[in-house]
Parts: sequence; C-alpha cells; structure tokens
Amino acid sequence: MNATIVSCCDVGRTYGTGPTALVALHGATCDVDAGRRIALVGPSGSGKSTLLHLMAGLDRPTVGTVDWPAIGPIEALRPGPVGVVFQRLSLLAPLDVGENVAMPLLLAGTDPTEAHDAALVALATIGLADLVDKLPEELSGGQAQRVAVARALVGRPVLLLADEPTGQLDHESAAAVVDALVDAAERSGAALVVATHDPIVADRLDDHWHLHDGALDTGDSSPRRTTGAPPTTAPPQEARS
Amino acid sequence: MTTLAWIRGLLARRTGRIASTAAGIAVGVALLATIGAFLGASKATMTQRSIARVAVDWQVEAQPGADPGTVLDAVRTQPGVTDAVPVGYGHTDAFTAAPGATTQTTGPGFLLGLPADYRATFPGVVRDLAGATNGVLVAQQTAANLRVAPGDTITTTLPGGTTSDLTVAGIIDLPTADSLFQQVGAPVGAQPQAPPDNVILVPAARWHQLYDPITATDPGAATTQVHTTLDHGLPTDPAAAYADVTGQANNLETRLAGSGLVGDNLAATLDAARSDALYAQVLFVFLGLPGAVLAAMLTAAVAAAAADRRRGDQALLRTRGATTGQLVRLALAEAATVGILGAVAGLVAAWVIVAVALPTSAAAGIGWQVAAAGIGLVTAGLVVGWPAWRDARELNVVGARRRIVRDTSPRWMRYGLDLILLGLSGLVFWSTSRTGYKLVLAPEGTPQISVDYWAFTGPALLWAGIGLLWWRLTHVGLGHGHRPLTSAATASVGSLGGTVASALTRQRRLLARGLVLVALTVTFAISTSVFNATYRQQAEVDALLTNGADVAVTESPGVVVGPDDATEIGATPGLGGVEPVQHRFAYVGSDLQDLYGVRPDTIVDATQLQDAYFQGGTARDLMARLGDQPDSVLVSAETVRDFQLHPGDQVTLRLQDGRTKQYSPVDFTYAGVALEFPTAPSDSFIVANADYIAEQTGNDAIGSFLVDTGSTDPTVVANDLRTQLGTSAQVTAIGESRRVIGSSLTAVDLGGLTRIELGFALVLAAASTGLVLGLGFVERRRFFAILSALGARGRQLSAFVWSEAILVTVGGITAGILGGWALSGMLIKVLTGVFDPAPSSIAIPTTYLAAVLAASVAAVVATVAVVVRRASHTTPTFLRDN
Repeated sequence: MNATIVSCCDVGRTYGTGPTALVALHGATCDVDAGRRIALVGPSGSGKSTLLHLMAGLDRPTVGTVDWPAIGPIEALRPGPVGVVFQRLSLLAPLDVGENVAMPLLLAGTDPTEAHDAALVALATIGLADLVDKLPEELSGGQAQRVAVARALVGRPVLLLADEPTGQLDHESAAAVVDALVDAAERSGAALVVATHDPIVADRLDDHWHLHDGALDTGDSSPRRTTGAPPTTAPPQEARS
Repeated sequence: MTTLAWIRGLLARRTGRIASTAAGIAVGVALLATIGAFLGASKATMTQRSIARVAVDWQVEAQPGADPGTVLDAVRTQPGVTDAVPVGYGHTDAFTAAPGATTQTTGPGFLLGLPADYRATFPGVVRDLAGATNGVLVAQQTAANLRVAPGDTITTTLPGGTTSDLTVAGIIDLPTADSLFQQVGAPVGAQPQAPPDNVILVPAARWHQLYDPITATDPGAATTQVHTTLDHGLPTDPAAAYADVTGQANNLETRLAGSGLVGDNLAATLDAARSDALYAQVLFVFLGLPGAVLAAMLTAAVAAAAADRRRGDQALLRTRGATTGQLVRLALAEAATVGILGAVAGLVAAWVIVAVALPTSAAAGIGWQVAAAGIGLVTAGLVVGWPAWRDARELNVVGARRRIVRDTSPRWMRYGLDLILLGLSGLVFWSTSRTGYKLVLAPEGTPQISVDYWAFTGPALLWAGIGLLWWRLTHVGLGHGHRPLTSAATASVGSLGGTVASALTRQRRLLARGLVLVALTVTFAISTSVFNATYRQQAEVDALLTNGADVAVTESPGVVVGPDDATEIGATPGLGGVEPVQHRFAYVGSDLQDLYGVRPDTIVDATQLQDAYFQGGTARDLMARLGDQPDSVLVSAETVRDFQLHPGDQVTLRLQDGRTKQYSPVDFTYAGVALEFPTAPSDSFIVANADYIAEQTGNDAIGSFLVDTGSTDPTVVANDLRTQLGTSAQVTAIGESRRVIGSSLTAVDLGGLTRIELGFALVLAAASTGLVLGLGFVERRRFFAILSALGARGRQLSAFVWSEAILVTVGGITAGILGGWALSGMLIKVLTGVFDPAPSSIAIPTTYLAAVLAASVAAVVATVAVVVRRASHTTPTFLRDN
C-alpha cells in the first residue's frame, strides 16, 4: 500500500464570523496517497480551491485536522515537498523564467548555480528550456502556466497540487499544461491533485472527487473516505471555489 | 445613469483608491489656499506698517502767487482729509550763536513755523531730545553745529539781512527730515540728496511776525505747506491702497488748479510697499509651488498604484461591450469625483490650518480659493482622468492586464531632456545674474510694476532637471549594476542575492520613480527650510543693523561721556559685551557725513559685522586693517566714485577739534568701502579708528554704546538701562527696531508661512518615503504573495522589501540633499533682492532637517514592517482574487 501524503480529517473552513460567516468547506475527510492522480471537480464556489489550499498548507482549517504523514509538519511543506500551480498566472513579473523556476530552490538555500541548472532541467522536462531568459510578460498564457508547472516540479515534490491550472487557457494550451502535469507526476512519482471544473481535464486523471456546496464526495463509501454531515449551526451561504 | 452607478460603485467599493487620490489633491489645494491666506495677511500688514510709518500723509505746497488760505480751505474740504494745518517754511541766510568764548555761524537754513496743535496732529515729525517741548526748538545737528543748549540765544539772519534773536527752548530730532524738506512736485531723482543741516522750529505766530513783512516784498523768502492726514480706511493690498491714495492726490491737484502741488508721502511709502508685496507674492508662490507640484506627483503615484485594478475594470467593461466613449466618460467621471472631493477637503483643511497656524485673522481671497480648487481639478484630470482616458483608447483587453513591460529607456532620456534642462537652467541663471536679480521691476515714471518671472526659470529648470537626472542615474545605475547589486545583496541574503538584484534591476522604472519622488521632496524640504532660515537670519541682521546691537544706548545732545563709561553700562547683570562708538560729523569736501569711530579689535563683541557690509575685504580683514593702520578709513561707494579713490589714497576729512571747536583737516588713508554699518544711515557715512579720531581731535566723546545682552532678554536690559541712565541717553532694544523697520519684506513675519510650508514639507517628506514605498509594494502585492506561497520566510521577504526600501530611501535622501544644496544656493542668489542686507552665508536649520530625516526614516521603517507582515500573512484567496 502506498504511503499517505496528506490526510484530511473532518476538515472545515469558514471565512469570517457571525451572520456574514461563509462556510467554504465542511466535514471533508480524505487521504491522498503517493502516486495517485485525483481530479477535484465541482462547480464554481463548491470549495475546490479551499480544499487544495488546505492540502498545500497555504491555509489553516477552522475545524478538523490536516496532516502530511510522509512529509512532516506544515513548516516542512515548502519550498520543496509540495508543489503548487495556482489558478491565475503566478509567475514573478520582474524575474525571468529561469529565476522564476529556480525560486523554490533559492528560497530553500540552494546554491544559485545549482538552482539555475535544476531550473533548466525542469524547463527541459516540459519542453520550455528555450524560454529560460524570457520575462513572464513575454509568454503566452499556456507557456506561463507550463513554466509554473516547471517551478512546482523543481523542488522534486511528493505532492503536486494544481488549482484550476487551465481555467484561463484555450483547449490546446490547456491540454499542453495537463500533459505537463501528468507527465511530471508520472516521472517523479508524486501524487497529483488537480482542481478543475473542466471535464476534459478531469478525464485525464484516474480518480474524481466531487465537491458541492463545501461537501466532499470521494466516491468511497467507507467512513474514512466519506464526507461528514453539513454543520447545523451555520448553513453555507456561498461556498468558494 | 451608467456613470452615476459607476461613481456610486467607486465610492462604495474602491473607497481607498478614491480617498487616497483625493487626499493627495487636497494636500496641494490646502497648500496653495493657505499660502494665499498668508499672502493676503502679509499684504495687509505691509499696508498697515507703511501707513504707520508716514508722519505726514500729504504736504501740499502753495505755489508762488497763490493764497495759502485758499489752498488750506481746498485741502480741508477734500474728501478723505481728516486734518490739515498750515506750516511756514522760511529761508534763513545764517544762524549765529556765541555760547562760549567763540562765535559759531552756520550756512543757510530753514525756520519752520508750526501751529500750536501741530505736534498733537503729527506726533511722528518731532522727537524731543532735551529741554522744553514747545517754543523755539533747535534741530540736533544745528545745536551741535552752534554748540547751543536750552537757554542759549541764536541770532537768525533772514533774507534781506534782517536779524532776530531766538532763545533756545529745546533740542529736537526730526526723524522724517527727508520728507519734511522734500522738493514738492519734483521727481524722485531730483530730490535734495540730504535734508538741510540747519533747522529751527518756532511757533506760527512768531514765524508770521518774522516773515510776513519779508514775503510782502520777497515772496520767495518763504512758502506755506499744508500738512495733511488722511482717512486710513484704505484697501489692504498695498497696490490698491497706492492707487487709491494717488487718485485722491490727483483729484486734489486738479481742484487746486495749479495753486498747489501735493507731496504725496503716503503714496511714496505705499509705492515701496507694493513692490515688496509683489516680491512677497512671487516669493510665497515660488516657495509653495514645488510643494503643490510634489503633492500632484504623489497623487499621481497613488493613482498609478491603482492603475492595474482600473485597467482590469476597463478590460472587464470592454468584454461586456462597453465602447471607448463610455470608458472615457467613466474615466472623466472618476477624475471629476476625485477632483471635487480633493478640492473641497483641501479648502476645508486650509481654513482649519489658517485658523490654527496664522496669528492674524487671515483668510484666503476668493481668487486664491478658486485658483487652488481649479488646480486641484486639473490635477485630478491629469493624474486620474488622462491615464484612464489613454488606457481606454489605446489598450486592448490583453494589454490592459499586463503588469510589467520590459524596461526600456524613456523617450526623454534618449533625447537627454534632463541635461538640456540643467544646461538651460545654468544659462538662465548666468543670464539673470548679470542683471543683478532685479525680480520686481518698477521703471521710473511708470506707475505699473512687474515681476521678472524669467529669473525664476533658472531654479524651476534646475528642479525639473535634477529630478530627471536622478531618474536617469537610477535607471542607468540599476540597469548596469546587476553585479555589484548581487554582491551587496548576497552578503545579507545569501543565495537569494542574485534574484534580489534581478528584481531591483528589472523594476528600475518603478524604483527610479520612487527615488525621484523622495529626492524632490527632500530637495523641497531643504530648499524651503534653508530659505526660511536664511530669511529669518537676515531679518535679525537687518534689525541688528538698524538698532546697532541687542540694545543701543545713544547719548543725548549736550551729554558728554567717554569710552570708560562702558564700564558703568557693563555693570548691568547678564551682559555679553558693551562697545563704545563715536558718532561725529565730518566734511568730505563740502559734504557733511556721519563718522563712526570704532574700536576695531572689540567691535564684534557687541554687534555683528557681516562681510556683505563691506567691499575691498571681509569684515574681519577691514577691521584688522583699521587696527593695524589706525589712520585707515572706510567710506561709502558713492564717496569712492565721486572722489575717484583707490586703496592707499590719502583722504583729508574736516573734523571738529575738541579743543578749538573748529573744523580742522585730519588725514586718513582710504582702506575700503562700507556699504552698511550698525546704526549708520543708508546713505554715505565713514568708519574709522576711534583712538585715531580721539588723538587727532583731542576728543574721545562717545555717541552711543552697543550692548550685547548675551542670553538676557534685550527688553529687560533696555528697561534696566533706562532706569540707570535716566534722560541722559536714549535706550532702544532690538525688538523695537524690528517693529519700525517698516514695510520691507524682511520685516514681514514669516512665522506663519514658515510653519505652513515646513509643516507641509515634513508631511510630504514622510509621505513620499512611506507612501512611495508602500504604494510600490501595493502595486506588487501579488509578487510578495507569490513569494510567500512559494515558501519564502519572513527574513527572505524582508530582503526583497528592505533592498528596495534602502535603495529608494538612502538614494532619494542623498540625491535630495545634493539637490537641496544646489537649489538653495540658486534660490538665495536669485532672491537676493528680498534680503537687506544680502546674506554672507546661508543658514541651515539642522533641527528641522533632522526632524525631516527622522520622519522619513520612521515612515520607511513602519512601511517595511507593515509590508513584510502583510506579505507573510497573505491568504491564498488573495492570489486567486487578484
């Protein structure tokens, strides 16, 4: 049996307090094991991004717990073990492609020359080595998102998370980005979780987890894999995507 | 309808963007409106002081053949005239007196006949020095020439040879002798160079006894003037008051139809005041304008920080089908909203500032308020409306979303605009310096005065050129400085050094903008504060020059004291030094001039001698020369010119000998030119070594003592000395001189303006450093959010933030100090005419500048702390939503 990378137990996330509180996610319980390819699907506002950010350690749950048994405490997640590709273009505008991709390694204290070489390798992996000196503004949307994938890969992650990576791309570019993600995950053996509402993207992945109004359905009926009951105190007004 | 909905949306959901931009505009509007208020108050002060200085508003002289009674009636019935009294001006051939063993005889002089109520009506004309206050009163210099005292008899020789004996009742001074003995109706250049030396005042009845028989056969032996006071309910602006008074005088002359001419003393004084007022207007506007421009630039920076979001809004509207025209309308509506809010807030702020900061009841004229508000609206149009309009017309949806473009040199840089501006500035400065910086032009015979705004072009071009030059240097330096930046950054952040350097290099346009804003603000703060400090310094010097020292003790006529009496005066507790100064009269050829005998080694113990007072050497050099070569003499530039003197030439003066009481020749050696000297008149005078004068004349009598009060209040010392010395001397404190200096610009209390401008400069300096950095970070919130999401620790985020903060702040402040130094020097040179006397050196207000520095550094530290904290706590939703 594969090792569990991230484990969510009855996780909920509420934004704000009082009457304006917004319940984005509630009672989500799931495990992501090494090597799995999961599509997190659901309509806009269903809580996909919220769950992804909790898995990435970018946000903290208001209820429940998130653990990373194969990695360690939350401080150990980044830079390195967890790679994230964001929903919108997320390259650092003043830095060129090479510097963008090398950034996670530089933040981890890697020697700049080694970091640059590793960035070149990551870019070559997804076929963008010739863009190393370009600025983000000089890339197309698809290229920029593939560079973001390279950046997520450069730290040799065990968990690759992508939040609507093709949301603003045409089909051709979207396909290239998904190819890059899947190929990278297969090569590195990392678990891959992609939040998307695009069925074409979802079809490229093995497992489909559904989110609706903040409730997660992993398609597994065992108690460990099912979502919890919605909260009774504060019904969700509008869940976030 | 769409526009209204858009405005409502902006106000409700873009509150920060609207409020911060409006606040920037409000600062500029408030600055201009408060300066307007201060200018109005200053002009009113100038008018009031001018009016107060005039002892006799009009001197209406009855022309030969005219009946003085008719002229008097015409003047009394002239609207605006409150009092009018006739004064007889009788010529005399000589005054003779024999108070001792010798007989003294003067040349021609004047016998004035004053009505009984004259002194009550015109209290500023006559000042009592000794003896009675009515009867036969002898002018101080006449008494000195004749060596008479109250009780002595003077024989007056009238035209035609008639003589009459007059018994001296008192000795008086005529502070306004120049105007009292003016040639009525003659232009300024044709006026007598000096008032008559020999003057005696007698009661009107006595005067008529003496002159009525003579004028019956010789009408030219005497004239009658009608001395007049006017209703002083004049406009507060000196120019308007001048026009008002001149109009009244012209009206009277028309009514007199040639029987009388008006000597308009009030208009003459207001004429000088209106020049000063124009100076003030130029000065205040010129000092305030950079502040308003800076406020506009800061506003533009604020607006630019919101540009991405605005472009995003526009792109969204365009995708929903909005036309370019609709987008432009919305942009203009936003500009109008911001402009109106800013203008209203600025005017309200100005009202509050004026009420709190200005001691007088000043209020900005409606013209200033409208102009300030108008400038606010134009600023809003330029910094908000124009970029939005440009984007709406030029950007497509993709372009609107771009956040950064590859940094190329701006077009102005390629054309060398900064160097052109600096070159032009130097050219204009050189050109205007040749004309002696006559900023306010008042051509003789032309009623209109004007300002030579051309002279201000030099500093303005320098300001703009310096700003652009800093931009170029920052841009080029960052563009080519990747390696040294990397080395510097690596030393503090290790492997991230190269990336930090890359970020700095690629954002050089943004950083250059911030650095230039900081630099220009610091330049503004320095140039404004240095100018204000120098202005205060020169105002103090002016007062010191007029009074002579903190306290001046002037001996009354007939009172003879020697230099040793300084010890008695110096016994007053708390004094810094007491210096005796001889005051005599000496003939230079046929010209009688004031002669000051000083002790060259110790004169500076009691007063200040500035280099600007002299030509031919510094103050120290020339005093040393007077000490080393006791027969040295300093004379006026006019004397040098008239007598074609060269250094080392022998100058023979005639001084009164203390033993024979006769004027005898004494040889001196011309050593230099004295333009100004403490207590000396503004026209020709002589400065020499007191010991040499005493040796040559056998008389060491002291005319006045100059007292340095040290840390003690001069008024307290003056009061003590008055008690100690009684009526034997006149004691004046420096504060009294400040009040009577008159309407000259340095006499205007700039305290309110200083508080306003320095307050604004301080706020702008702190705002520019903090705001510029803060806005720069706001513009790149996403950059820091992404860094944080990638796993950057607080220390690593700080490296990025601090690298920019240090570059912008240290670079900006350093550049600002250099620019401030250059601009201050040029400003003070250009505004030399404002200072009287011209400053020897600029004054540097170190405390204020330290406060500016501290405020800027504090603003930077606070901004960096907030930015790092916020970047470290960026939520992932920010990345998704922005």
